[in-house]
Amino acid sequence: MEGVYFNIDNGFIEGVVRGYRNGLLTSNQYMNLTQCETLEDLRLQLSSTDYGNFLSDVPQESLTTSMVQEAAAEKMYQEFNYIRNQLSGRSKKFMDYITFSYMIDNVALMITGTVHERDKSEILSRCHPLGWFDTLPTLSVATDLESLYDTVLVDTPLAPYFADCFDNANELDDMNIEIIRNKLYKAYLEDFAKFVQNEIEQPAREIMLELLGFEADRRAINISLNSLQSEDVDSELKQQLLPCLGKCYPLVSHMLANSKDFENVRAALNNVYEYRSLLEDDSNLEDHFYRLEMELCRDAFTQQFAISTVWAWMKSKEQEVRNITWIAECIAQNQRERITNYISVY
Amino acid sequence: MADKRTLLAVIGDEDTATGLLLAGIGQINPSTNEKNFFVYQEGKTTVEQVGEKFDEFTQERKDIAILLINQHVADLIRMKIDAFVDPFPAVLEIPSKDHPYDPEKDSVLKRVKKLFGE
Amino acid sequence: MSGNREQVFPTRMTLGLMKTKLKGANQGYSLLKRKSEALTKRFRDITRRIDDAKQKMGRVMQTAAFSLAEVSYATGENIGYQVQESVSGQSRFKIRARQENVSGVRLPQFECYIDSQINDFKLTGLGRGGQQVQRAKEIYTKAVETLVELASLQTAFIILDDVIKVTNRRVNAIEHVIIPRTENTIAYINSELDELDREEFYRLKKVQEKKQNETKQLDEEMKLKRLAQEKAEAGTSGTAGAGAGASVENDDKTRNLVSTTEDDVIF
Repeated sequence: MEGVYFNIDNGFIEGVVRGYRNGLLTSNQYMNLTQCETLEDLRLQLSSTDYGNFLSDVPQESLTTSMVQEAAAEKMYQEFNYIRNQLSGRSKKFMDYITFSYMIDNVALMITGTVHERDKSEILSRCHPLGWFDTLPTLSVATDLESLYDTVLVDTPLAPYFADCFDNANELDDMNIEIIRNKLYKAYLEDFAKFVQNEIEQPAREIMLELLGFEADRRAINISLNSLQSEDVDSELKQQLLPCLGKCYPLVSHMLANSKDFENVRAALNNVYEYRSLLEDDSNLEDHFYRLEMELCRDAFTQQFAISTVWAWMKSKEQEVRNITWIAECIAQNQRERITNYISVY
Repeated sequence: MADKRTLLAVIGDEDTATGLLLAGIGQINPSTNEKNFFVYQEGKTTVEQVGEKFDEFTQERKDIAILLINQHVADLIRMKIDAFVDPFPAVLEIPSKDHPYDPEKDSVLKRVKKLFGE
Repeated sequence: MSGNREQVFPTRMTLGLMKTKLKGANQGYSLLKRKSEALTKRFRDITRRIDDAKQKMGRVMQTAAFSLAEVSYATGENIGYQVQESVSGQSRFKIRARQENVSGVRLPQFECYIDSQINDFKLTGLGRGGQQVQRAKEIYTKAVETLVELASLQTAFIILDDVIKVTNRRVNAIEHVIIPRTENTIAYINSELDELDREEFYRLKKVQEKKQNETKQLDEEMKLKRLAQEKAEAGTSGTAGAGAGASVENDDKTRNLVSTTEDDVIF
């Protein structure tokens, strides 16, 4: 029954997104890309895909991997903004939620730049375009977290996420910025999950919760692994950084927070079926996560009448940009043996 | 004379600088905000700026033992580099991600070749 | 003959000095020549190693750049800015210069040491890609070590190049200027001294000739006197002794003159 109502507001956009999804590179197309000898070949191969006459105005000799990456990302931003502008109501809010994560990155970036008294325009050019908000440039006035919050952030959608960040340090240094960023991210994921739980219809709710849970788990595992070496992050602080959702929460994430070495983390992960194999072999943790994520996204497309397809498309597209960049990098740096390291599920 | 020179400096594109900074060569003087690295941005940084930085690292600062410079950046101020023959700091041309190393252009290797009449 | 020599008085003392100088120059020449050969050997060795090291650097830096590509793949963003901003007031990677002595030339040898207390980027990639950041860090640390090694070679190259040039200039100066000039000076002094000897010899001969003439004259006089005496013997016999005494005194004066001239010649 829900499908009927879904289409009133979102039918068109779901069609568009599914169209975009069909434009995602397939494994055959990736195969062709890996055969390329030069970046010029790569561009030629891409021109037969959805990328069309992508980068066609750049002379052959000045083509670099960073250009390829920027152009591919630019295309994704355009598509995302198109979808976002077509939506209204709750679905629009859903799209806004997606952009919050980029906002967090931008805020962290701005604060970093401010602490080091960097030129504002230089920092702004590095901000993620999807995480842009009007008061972003004014962030540079702040010198400590409280004034930052009072003058600027209180007007942004991120304001509630700062609630947890005021407890200890008011002084902004690099260490704190990274901690704040991860705290914000935790609050954001929890809030997003709450929003999905309360306002999004089935079946999108179920899919989104699964995807957000995965995102939370990925962060939790990463944080607990990467903080093993630094003594400054104790288990209490770690507990504050690990999101309270996902498959790891609450039992495993508690174990993760108290892990003192790699073996502890592995033992903790043994309790979650999906992540059991993550640390078993030597291969890359990040690759495992990306593969899992892509599989979840692919599965998300099997369900119709769900706004979650937008998220799945967005994540797939991000992966695609990374894949293309990776292949371009391998070609440019002559590291062909690693070129097949991309992740393709379509 | 070489005792006080304990730092490496770098003039290079963003990736080169990032990598070398990850290795831990970076140092920013907290009071003067003086850095021992300079990021060259294609199309934004002018040749004059590169030249100024080169002079700063080679002549003004006395705490730099080795200056690493991307070869394609060095090409912009080739005259200056060819003219710089002091042993300290050692100026080393290094490749960058997008520009593989070309021994033909290296100022020091050119001297090597010239000496042996090749 | 006098075209390339030092401006000296041609005396025996100067001759002695010049001979010592020539000996010194010859010794210096062979020493410097040997030094220059030793340095050149070292120099060629270094040059070859620079060539190798530069090739190696190309590969090492490529691997390193690739590890950074892995980081951006894993984090999905460019960490460059964050890394640049996280740099603190003390570098982790430092250089120490050690001196190495090659034939009296002090060559700096850069050594790197890592202050493990300092770690500016421990939280970079905390939420994502931390492993890759860690790996890139290690790879770049190794790469910088290679670069430092290469920088040592290169500095040694530049210093040796200079020193060898100076040494060779000295060797050439000794070989082609100092030694010939000293030899010329010695030849000049010798020829001047010979000239003086000949003059002296001629003068002595003259003196002798004069002396002989005088003796002859005196002999004549004495003969005449004796004859007169014999004639007068018949009359008085007391005055003859006084005349002989005067002639002996005169002879003494001539001898003195000769001996002083001889003194002059000898020294």
